[in-house]
Amino acid sequence: MKQIFAIALGILAAIGGFVDIGDIVFNTAAGATFGYELLWAVVIGVGGIITYAEMCGRVAAVSERAVFDAVRERLGFQVGLVALISAQFVNLMTIAAEIGGVAIVLQLLSGLSYRALLVLAVLALALVLWLMPFGWIERVFGYTGLALLVFVVAALKLHPDWTQVARGFVPKAEADNLAVYGYYVVGLIGAAMIPYEVYFYSSGAVEERWRPKDLGINRANAIVGYSLGGLLSFALMISAGALLLPEGISPEHLGSVALVAEAPLGQIGLILALVGMLFAISGAAIDSAFAGAYNLGQFFGWEWGKYRHNAGAPRFTIAWALMLLVGFLIVVTGVDPILVTELSVVFSVVALPLTYVPILLVANDRAYMGSYGNGWVGNAFGVLYLLIVLVIAVAAIPLLIASNMGQG
Amino acid sequence: MSEIDVGLGILDHQLVDSEGRHCGKVDDLELERVREGRPRVAAILSGPPAWRGRGRLGRLAAALARGRLVRIPWEEVAEVHAEVELRRTAQELRLGRGDDRARRFVERIPGASL
Repeated sequence: MKQIFAIALGILAAIGGFVDIGDIVFNTAAGATFGYELLWAVVIGVGGIITYAEMCGRVAAVSERAVFDAVRERLGFQVGLVALISAQFVNLMTIAAEIGGVAIVLQLLSGLSYRALLVLAVLALALVLWLMPFGWIERVFGYTGLALLVFVVAALKLHPDWTQVARGFVPKAEADNLAVYGYYVVGLIGAAMIPYEVYFYSSGAVEERWRPKDLGINRANAIVGYSLGGLLSFALMISAGALLLPEGISPEHLGSVALVAEAPLGQIGLILALVGMLFAISGAAIDSAFAGAYNLGQFFGWEWGKYRHNAGAPRFTIAWALMLLVGFLIVVTGVDPILVTELSVVFSVVALPLTYVPILLVANDRAYMGSYGNGWVGNAFGVLYLLIVLVIAVAAIPLLIASNMGQG
Repeated sequence: MSEIDVGLGILDHQLVDSEGRHCGKVDDLELERVREGRPRVAAILSGPPAWRGRGRLGRLAAALARGRLVRIPWEEVAEVHAEVELRRTAQELRLGRGDDRARRFVERIPGASL
């Protein structure tokens, strides 16, 4: 019973933790531009994060190594350093995007100036990380982020044409503008597979001392948690497709995302959407700042851990504080956070193979994994997704340029 | 498995002291009796200067980073599993000094022990 309860809580946190600013931006923009046509890309992305997270969680439970331990052991210092630098570059852009997103939502809630709210957002995040025990952070942000489920209600209330919705799950590429279509495919898959989630997840598994007996929890968290998180992505795309596409509104601002919940549900829908976005995006900012600190700690062999007190893992503490600071400095220049979000997702796709490959190698290495190595199902998905990741990594930047960042 | 296999197998692994503290990585290895054809791991090398032996990027990183080279004689290794466990504390072996320096700074901020 206690076990089931723990699994349920983990899954709840995974749902709230799945959606971040990248998912919000790409799913609503894809819905507003192509209606339901790109739902299949979300399915591919969710399958990817399930495959990758399950593998990393299993590697952590069996071999007691987090992602960047495995990266350095498998790739060595030189190539490992390249993987680290690219991961940190993407993490910083993600943090910048999330901080900007928090400030935009705060602005929608309060009407105060965006720059002042950026300062407030980064200070509040730093204080939460400095003062709050991690168990609390996880609950407060994971569970409050569930307010985003309002988009599921909104999607139902908007009475979309369900045959059209069902057709969206079948991959096809017959759009007028293939470059824009391709750009959104890359963005949707990239947003679902955003790498900080996996760094964070595997490091947490090592910290919580998962062992092979915990592999059931790992599988449940990855499969059920991320699938239900994917449901939120569907809901965002479907409601944007039902409401914004016919009106010809393109959601260049997070305000129009909240509007998607307000139109069918009124004031309460608007407030739930904004609160859900605030906590989901803040939680993502926290997780990505931790992910950056984890990567550095594991690569260089420092003391690290979110359950340690601040002085117990001092360089780790300084690392997350600096990541937040640099992220803040990026958005305080006035660069559009939606632009930073899109770039962070596209670059994360390019950097993804550098951490994906060593994890796939370790998951197949009997010396690390004993009898818990990848089975044929794990390898079929592992290799399939490696190919998908490589293809979208190669296509990402040409599509970004050819589609003028989705503007056509 | 010979000692040299164990030695090469631990390159880039985590160092843990006798109290369970994470205190650096196996950044390089010092081999001896290579010429005699019976190579043996004499010591583990840890710290930024040891990156010089790790290719061009390693040399560049070593030039940019601060920190001293620590030589840990092979006799100080207690056990090798996922991590490389040492027989003595990081302080005795002069490892983990980057964390010690950072701790003196972090400790001054209120709430550091939360």
